Amino acid sequence: MKNRLKVLRAERDWTQAQLAGALDVSRQTVNAIETGKFDPSLSLAFRAARLFGMRIEEIFHDEDRPSLATEKDTYV
Amino acid sequence: MKQPKPPGNGYQWRIRMNVLRLFLWNGAWVAATALMTFGPRFFWNRTLLFTLLAVSLDVAVGVGMILANIKYIAELDELQRKVQLDSMGITLGVALIAGTPLSVMDAYHVIPFHVDIAYLLILMSLTFAISNLYGTRRFR
Repeated sequence: MKNRLKVLRAERDWTQAQLAGALDVSRQTVNAIETGKFDPSLSLAFRAARLFGMRIEEIFHDEDRPSLATEKDTYV
Repeated sequence: MKQPKPPGNGYQWRIRMNVLRLFLWNGAWVAATALMTFGPRFFWNRTLLFTLLAVSLDVAVGVGMILANIKYIAELDELQRKVQLDSMGITLGVALIAGTPLSVMDAYHVIPFHVDIAYLLILMSLTFAISNLYGTRRFR
């Protein structure tokens, strides 16, 4: 599973530690998700979506498919 | 433009407190176990009542240590919990795989020394420490 967590975090100028604090996880977990080493649970994905004010599929997407955000850009 | 910092809720602080609690319970259990082991010989001259009290104390502190461990694992995030679970699985497997043949070899005098439970505890501790370190590094 791929995700746009690193991009969204960078857009807000947040550190991994700040994002980890907001998601109530360790910094190691944020790093593992960003680098694709670990797939988050549905509840953590929901927390991330709530934090960024987006839908889950706009942040996380299948390896073979582009994210919903990219799809939107393509069709517009 | 720099966005406002997201609100944090002290995950690191909570885990640090749980680790400290677990460390204290572990220390108390080691002390209670030492008292139970050496007390009858060095402190109360094998008096049955005191030995039973020391055993009861050891079991009670052991239960406290288990509860502290449960709380610690329950409050870990999902990745940390996975690392712990993997380490526990490897430790259990190694203990079974190494423990059973060792006890059989001891029973049939294949090995020149007596297998003590302490050996198994040391093996389990080392296995858990190494697999935990490996798991932590894997997701770094």
